[in-house]
Amino acid sequence: MERIVYMDNAATTPVDPLVVEEMKPFFTEQFANPMTYMHSSMGDVAYTAVENARQRVAALIGSHPEQVIFTSGGTEADNWVLKGTLERATRERLHKPGHLVTTEFEHHAILHSALALQRQGYDVTFVKVGHEGIVDPDDVRRAMRPTTVLVSVMHANNEIGTIQPIAEIARVAHEHGALMHTDAVQTTAHIPVDVDALGVDFLSISAHKFNGPKGVGILFVRDHGALYPFIDGGGQEWGLRGSTHNVPGIVGLGKAAQLGRERLPGELKRLTGLRDMLLDKLSSRIDGIAVNGDMKQRVPQNLNIRIDGIDNEPLLLAMNEAALIAAGGSACTALETVPSHVLTSIGCSLTEAKASIRLSFGYFTTEQDIEYAADVIPGLVRFLRAMA
Amino acid sequence: MDKYSRATIREFMSPSNIGSIDDPSGTGHITDNADSVELTLFINVDAAGHITDAKYRVSGCTALIATLSVLSKELPGKAIEEALTIDMPYLSSLLEGLPESKWRCAGYAVEALHLAIEDYRSKTP
Ligand SMILES: Cc1ncc(COP(=O)(O)O)c(C=O)c1O
Repeated sequence: MERIVYMDNAATTPVDPLVVEEMKPFFTEQFANPMTYMHSSMGDVAYTAVENARQRVAALIGSHPEQVIFTSGGTEADNWVLKGTLERATRERLHKPGHLVTTEFEHHAILHSALALQRQGYDVTFVKVGHEGIVDPDDVRRAMRPTTVLVSVMHANNEIGTIQPIAEIARVAHEHGALMHTDAVQTTAHIPVDVDALGVDFLSISAHKFNGPKGVGILFVRDHGALYPFIDGGGQEWGLRGSTHNVPGIVGLGKAAQLGRERLPGELKRLTGLRDMLLDKLSSRIDGIAVNGDMKQRVPQNLNIRIDGIDNEPLLLAMNEAALIAAGGSACTALETVPSHVLTSIGCSLTEAKASIRLSFGYFTTEQDIEYAADVIPGLVRFLRAMA
Repeated sequence: MDKYSRATIREFMSPSNIGSIDDPSGTGHITDNADSVELTLFINVDAAGHITDAKYRVSGCTALIATLSVLSKELPGKAIEEALTIDMPYLSSLLEGLPESKWRCAGYAVEALHLAIEDYRSKTP
């Protein structure tokens, strides 16, 4: 097979071979149900592995292990925190529909959950985002109401990588008696994520964005009593999330968390360097190129550029023919021809949004890959521009 | 699953007849900001009413580029009435099947042809 240069790590990452190794026994020999640990030595092995993974994740985000609740991924964690907190506060405290504050450029896991809540009669405010792709805490302050139950603002945006002032926004939420959630799917293991420094009550993580397996994530829950369960079942996870543990997945998440924690300082520096190098090279080789979103408050693994006079769909296909994989909008909107809601939320026109591509890097991205992208993209831009 | 055929990708990666015609018999121009499409199709028509040449300039989706390429190869030699019968199902078959979700965007090729023919007719007594 020809070598593929993969620059779509914001959509998903390859599972690290060390993670795969650690997961393997839990498919076959160590297949027991962790909840049988009281009477089964095999169950105890699985249980211990799950708890070890919980500790590793807790160490990565600076929480207590029992505040780490395993889920089927980022989407479930996001659904759960929005619906679980709004429902609980409304039923038990407010006795009238609670209010959610979130932003216009959240991932669809949040946006569509918020719309679902709105359909059910809850109040939702979608705060606008500035041109640089950063939410102003004062705009959040203006959105607060006496009935506001939860503020949910993503830590970094999945399309443009801009990092949000979560600690400041959390202060606003708490001053108004609301809880604070952040979707840290794009930041965990890429930049420091500490639940106390961020001041959050809830935080979502997904393993597959940092070289762990797909289909597993967590919701950090500071206080177990703050929300209703989302998946009711057999009492696993302190009764907060039913279903037999996905033991191999959880073990894989734990290993990825441990590796992520060790690698973070080095990778933060390395990927920032590679990203800036790619932007420099592309800027010098292509006219009419601009970055979407602030370049400083940005995760190291993300570059989102718009190129005048280009439609991203043929560009991405032509790049794919050259074995270079990147993205237009997010992976979830790849099938739609609608322009990215994130780019339009920061003031891009439809044409600008369709002229944008996202290049996202990861642990396996090399300097050679960057050189390759810097060589290939300008030629394909010329090819497309020559048709116009 | 809705995806591009290899034939479409091949056509798009080496499209035929890109360019313009000086003093063409007819021109069809389309701009659509929502789809970020900008397209001009030029045709030459001889005295007998047969298309002799077709060229285009385009900025738009892959499907549109590939469709214009096969359309521009189909047109020379065709009478105007014949050219008007060319439709998306036919062009799609030349590309071994275009994803249906892309027919709307690719359809600008047919629309531009109709505009070019209208333009030719309006200029021809
Ligand atoms: C910011 C953000 N939130 C949530 C998700 C969903 O996570 P998962 O794929 O684990 O459901 C993703 C990625 O798909 C994401 O980028």
